[in-house]
This record gives sequence, structure tokens and C-alpha cells, in this order.
Amino acid sequence: MSRNENGSTDLNTRINQSSVRLFLGTMGWVATTAVLAFGPKLWWEFDPSVTLIAIVLNLITGAIMLVAQYRHLMSMDELQKQTHLEAMAITLGVTAIVTVTYGNLEPAGVLADTRPTNILFVTGITYIVAVIVLWMRRTSE
Amino acid sequence: MKNKLKVLRAERNWTQADLASALDVTRQTVNAIEKGKYDPSLPLAFKVAALFAMPIEQIFSYAEDA
Repeated sequence: MSRNENGSTDLNTRINQSSVRLFLGTMGWVATTAVLAFGPKLWWEFDPSVTLIAIVLNLITGAIMLVAQYRHLMSMDELQKQTHLEAMAITLGVTAIVTVTYGNLEPAGVLADTRPTNILFVTGITYIVAVIVLWMRRTSE
Repeated sequence: MKNKLKVLRAERNWTQADLASALDVTRQTVNAIEKGKYDPSLPLAFKVAALFAMPIEQIFSYAEDA
């Protein structure tokens, strides 16, 4: 582990470590989400007590992922941090607008079936695009 | 805000990567500050001043259009 003059770990080391933790936290959450989505029907025939355990595990791994995300953000340097926070603000706005419009598509008779989880795709794509655009604008040579 | 980061760095024959490493930021952050696309936080500005052993106002100056 590389350390700077102050004895603290350097930026790249901190970001690499927090990225690994974020990856593991996200994988844990995805795994427990898959268990909760498919488990009741495929593995334990809707046993309420097992389903309750799956729900609790999903929430706990979600909280772990959230903490890992926060620590990853805090491990960044100030320009990276500002870029990600601005991207989050843009993502929040876009998600709110799209959620309202998308939620009205079924009552309006445009779509027969709407699923709230589809909004996650909008959130994810908006965040990635916003980070790339904001970062490129500030750091282009 | 204007700054003399590029000049001071060049005087010492430091690359952007060298300065970034000394300040514990990314090279892109140093580049963005030098080009005036990003104004550093007060702690980072003081860190720059300490690194170059100069008063902060000799490195950074306020400019409304920058």
C-alpha cells in the first residue's frame, strides 16, 4: 500500500480499495435481489418465514452497498467528487420527471403494463452519461 | 479565478502528474485548475500555497470572468 508524506494512503490506492468494496457490495445486493425475486417460487415455495429472511438480507446488503457507495465518493479527489455530486443532482431531476411521465402512461392508455423497476435503467444511464459529460467538459485538454 | 499554477510548475520542471501526486489529486484536476475550468477548494488552494512556499494570493487571484 503506497502512503504519502502525511502517512495516509494515496488517492489511487484509496479509490482502488473503495472500488473493490463497492463492487463487492453491489454484487452482494444483486445476488440477494435475485434470491428475493426468484427464490419464493423456485426454491422455497413461498414459505413466509424464508421470504422474510430474504427480504431482510436484501435490505441489509442494500445498506452495505449504500455505505460502500458513500465511502467510494469520499475517497475521490475534490473534482471527481464534485462531478459525481452534480451528476447525482441531474440524475435525481431526470428520474423524477421520467417517473411522473412513465407513471401516467398506463392510466393514459399508452402502455398496457408499466414496471417501477424500469425507472432504474433511466437512473443508471442518466448517471453514467452525466458523469462522462461533466468530466469531459472540465478535463478536456 | 486566475492562477499561476502552470508557470510555477514549469519553473520547477514538474509535470502535471508530479504536482497531482504532491497534492493527492488526479492529474485531470491539476489540468482543470490550470485551465481555469475548475476553482480549487480553500483547503486545496492552501495546500498548493504550502507546496510552493508562497502566499496564497500570489498564486490565486479573483477574476470575475475566469
